[in-house]
Amino acid sequence: MSTVVEVRALSKRYGSLMAVDGISFSVEEGEIFGVLGPNGAGKTTTVETIEGLRRPDSGEVSVCGIDALREPEPIKELIGVQLQTTSLYDRIRVKEAVDLFGGYYRKAIPTATLLQEVSLTDKKNSYVSELSGGQKQRLALALALINDPGLLFLDEPTTGLDPQARRNVWSIITGLQEEGKTVILTTHYMEEAEELCNRVAIMDHGRIIALDTPSALIAGAGLESRIELDGVDDELRAMLGRTDLPLRMVDSGDGIIIHTKKPSLVLKEIVRTAIQCGVDLSNISVRRATLEDVFLALTGRQLRE
Amino acid sequence: MKILARQVMLETRLFLRRKDDLFWTLAFPLFFIVLFGLIYQDVVWEDLGLRAIEYLLPGIIVMALMTSGIMATASGFVEERERGIYRRLSLTPLKRRTLLGGQLIQRYVVILIQTILLLVVGTLAFDIQISGNLFWSWLVVTLGALCFLSIGFLLTGLIKSARAANGISMIVFFMLMFLGGIYFPNDVMPDFLRTFSNTLPSTNLNDALRAVMIMGLGIEEAWRELLVVGGWFIGSLVVAVRLFRWE
Repeated sequence: MSTVVEVRALSKRYGSLMAVDGISFSVEEGEIFGVLGPNGAGKTTTVETIEGLRRPDSGEVSVCGIDALREPEPIKELIGVQLQTTSLYDRIRVKEAVDLFGGYYRKAIPTATLLQEVSLTDKKNSYVSELSGGQKQRLALALALINDPGLLFLDEPTTGLDPQARRNVWSIITGLQEEGKTVILTTHYMEEAEELCNRVAIMDHGRIIALDTPSALIAGAGLESRIELDGVDDELRAMLGRTDLPLRMVDSGDGIIIHTKKPSLVLKEIVRTAIQCGVDLSNISVRRATLEDVFLALTGRQLRE
Repeated sequence: MKILARQVMLETRLFLRRKDDLFWTLAFPLFFIVLFGLIYQDVVWEDLGLRAIEYLLPGIIVMALMTSGIMATASGFVEERERGIYRRLSLTPLKRRTLLGGQLIQRYVVILIQTILLLVVGTLAFDIQISGNLFWSWLVVTLGALCFLSIGFLLTGLIKSARAANGISMIVFFMLMFLGGIYFPNDVMPDFLRTFSNTLPSTNLNDALRAVMIMGLGIEEAWRELLVVGGWFIGSLVVAVRLFRWE
């Protein structure tokens, strides 16, 4: 595997705010690389600097082996970009917009193929202004794919979409990876990063505070799993009260929540006691720690504040 | 070259789909020539030695040039910039000079169409005699187009929001129109206003175009007016280039 994007000591200041504060990372060919963080963490500034839209104050960026800060022009043929909000001319039809962008590149995917891929074929004669939010996002994605780029930047591609449309975009992105493309994705949705990304950089206040695979991030944070029991049996509660297993028990009103780093041991005890007392445990749920919890553990704050 | 041609096609298509641009650049000037043609059909302004409608035609052409060069340019460009369209385009290999070139060519073509349309309606419907040299007339119109386009782009550098662009460009347009001696000779104005009026590009272009196109004078007879228009062109261009913003 070769390195597609290499960022070194990148910094960008807006007034007194360090939007990006000396970050370094690299993205390998064929991976979906997530940049995760709350609004204002510096995600967009970071990716837009790599894309060539913004000039950093210091640092180095190389894209496909080309110095992106010195030679931005050749890179434009190699990358595809979906901005956080893509604006197009209102009075242009979907098909015309794709044709237009195709004409700017040396090679372009045929318009019909592309519209098929993002399921906009039946909207090809609609004006851009008539599209729904999800359709506009898919058109923006189509325009990002027009030159069949090896490297794609997707800036919050599912923000504002309903769950159905979000799944839709996720499956397109997974498909792109299967075609061998590298994807750099920013998001403030934890589940999106967990679902899609091979590696995730968690950003906060312009710095990368953690970078690894989602499961390694979760495991590395040493977080507890969470077992919830509704309408818990007295016997079970008594057992959990006197056991020396590593757990914390919290009363949740109509039941209990158990936090533990050893979920399998705790569950085994719960199941054993339940069978003894003839309780069927229909009200149990187990949730492993998520990236959301990782962020909370690293920063002491919720991701979406 | 191929991409430039495509940009001109794109701008033309967008122009034809923008109802307010079509109204201001085509319907509005045509409405004026028909209206004034009907009102002043038989009126002759003796002291000028011209029929009233012959006096007015160059002014209406100047007004049409301003609708394209100033109003459509300033509001259209600022709106597209504000909406981030140029930002998105800057991620493609499209060169900014090609984008700008496409816009300028399209506007110039519209200006020529406006002029020809007004001349045709004027001569056919109201029997206006175009006794001047058409080549010189075209040169004067082209200088006017350059001047107003520069003023239009100067405004895009000064104005941030599309909403303000509409209002401000309209104020500039109406000021240049009413103080530019377009609908009445500016010698009816009080002295201080006339002095001001005589410095405006609209007044001077109007006088030059009337002299060259209607009165059939040589272009050298209008050198003073053309110098003022040229001065406005160069001055606005320099400031426009300095203030120009893509984002």
